[in-house]
Amino acid sequence: MTDLDKTSSAFAGAALVHIDALYGFAMTLVRNQSEAEDLVQETYLRAVRAFGQLMPDSNLKSWMFAIMRNIWLNQLRHARSGPRFVELDADTEEGAYWLDRVTKDPHASYVEKIERQEVRAAIESLPRLHREVILLRDIEGFSYQQIAEILGCPAGTVMSRLGRAREKLRLLLAEWRVGSRPQALKANRA
Amino acid sequence: MKQCEGARAQVAFYLDNELKGDELRAFESHLAACPDCRRLCDDERSFLALVRAARPLYVAPPELRDQVERTLSNAPATYAASPQLRRRVQQSIWQASATALDSSNARRASMLAFIAIFILAVVWLIASRRDAPASGPSEFAVRAVEMHQRYLRGQLPLEISSVSPEQITRWFTGKVSFNLELPPYQGPPDQEKLYSLEGARLVGFNNDDAAYVAYQMQQRPISLVVTSNSVVLPSGGEEIVSQGMTIHYALVDGYKVMTWSHKGLTYALVSDLEEFGQDSCIVCHAATKDRIFIESLKPKGK
Repeated sequence: MTDLDKTSSAFAGAALVHIDALYGFAMTLVRNQSEAEDLVQETYLRAVRAFGQLMPDSNLKSWMFAIMRNIWLNQLRHARSGPRFVELDADTEEGAYWLDRVTKDPHASYVEKIERQEVRAAIESLPRLHREVILLRDIEGFSYQQIAEILGCPAGTVMSRLGRAREKLRLLLAEWRVGSRPQALKANRA
Repeated sequence: MKQCEGARAQVAFYLDNELKGDELRAFESHLAACPDCRRLCDDERSFLALVRAARPLYVAPPELRDQVERTLSNAPATYAASPQLRRRVQQSIWQASATALDSSNARRASMLAFIAIFILAVVWLIASRRDAPASGPSEFAVRAVEMHQRYLRGQLPLEISSVSPEQITRWFTGKVSFNLELPPYQGPPDQEKLYSLEGARLVGFNNDDAAYVAYQMQQRPISLVVTSNSVVLPSGGEEIVSQGMTIHYALVDGYKVMTWSHKGLTYALVSDLEEFGQDSCIVCHAATKDRIFIESLKPKGK
């Protein structure tokens, strides 16, 4: 095995760890399972070709997120000049491949599950810019600086956008608890 | 009070681990002394814990994981240099070393080097049709290969399925900013067809619509991507000159891609056919007279 093969194989192992996170980000961007899968594939394809350019001290995960966002932006730019791309903003259920963890206490498990569903549904219903920044910070744990690099904007913009996004999320969850929960969640509870 | 305002503005930064040094120490000492700010901080912490407990939002479907694993194991790390390019580089290195070691007399060495280079150049001109040094594949070539791969993975569905070049030509009319005319089948009518047309779709390249046409030859897919000269010109790879036409050949991810320009259009032809994949040219040049042109593209000695 050559050095390049070894590096390539190490990259494959390290990159595959992030597939769920990348898929989640892709769903946040395109909100459609097949488009998201496409985007993940494309991201890995680009990354495997370009990983030689990755600096040794760079963060692989944020680098791959940035690749994904660039691909998506390019697709979006192209789609704006044609009729083929449809952003499925209303389609919040398709491809909802959510993970339901199992805890030992069935009641606690049920309550946690409902809470998680509420939070997920609330994040899903945020505008794209807000759900993107929530996902990057609160779900994926990126720092403000890393988010700024992924989004290609100043860290100050990240901070203010994150503040607004959390405020909106908090309001949504509070409203739902008062009773105006979305139909999908009500059905889940029944 | 003013201290509280400042501290409250920093609650999110604190909980996000973005406060450092003096700022962090000042914030924590204020929190220790102020029950209101502490309560607000606890509320925010609980809220963030609730949000963060929702992770992961998604898990990748197992099929996607399998596909990506295959992508990672199949795709070479970097663009592979073709065997011809490798041989050429090896030959140059050997020639340079031999010349350098051959003599301690600088003038004699220079003369020998000159003669060697001259002979090499003459041999090269006679023996090779390639008239420019190879370089990396162009962006257009790389994108064409990506489209081919996406088509193979079922991620680039055809927008029109047809075996008729005339029908596909009509379909593209008005959809692309250039005139694309797919030639009718030109092979011998009394023999089994050398290739079959599958269909076509629009694809994006450089913020413009390009034409993507899918063919099959001996059950091996061939992709043709066409755009306007004004969008991109062929470049990169190894240049093969034949009958006045310059073909840029590159190997990308194991696929052979030829790009060229003709009558205002730029083409890319992708396949995994043998040698340079020149047999894929049959999709437009099936006529017997054109086979001479395709033969002329074969690597030397084949």
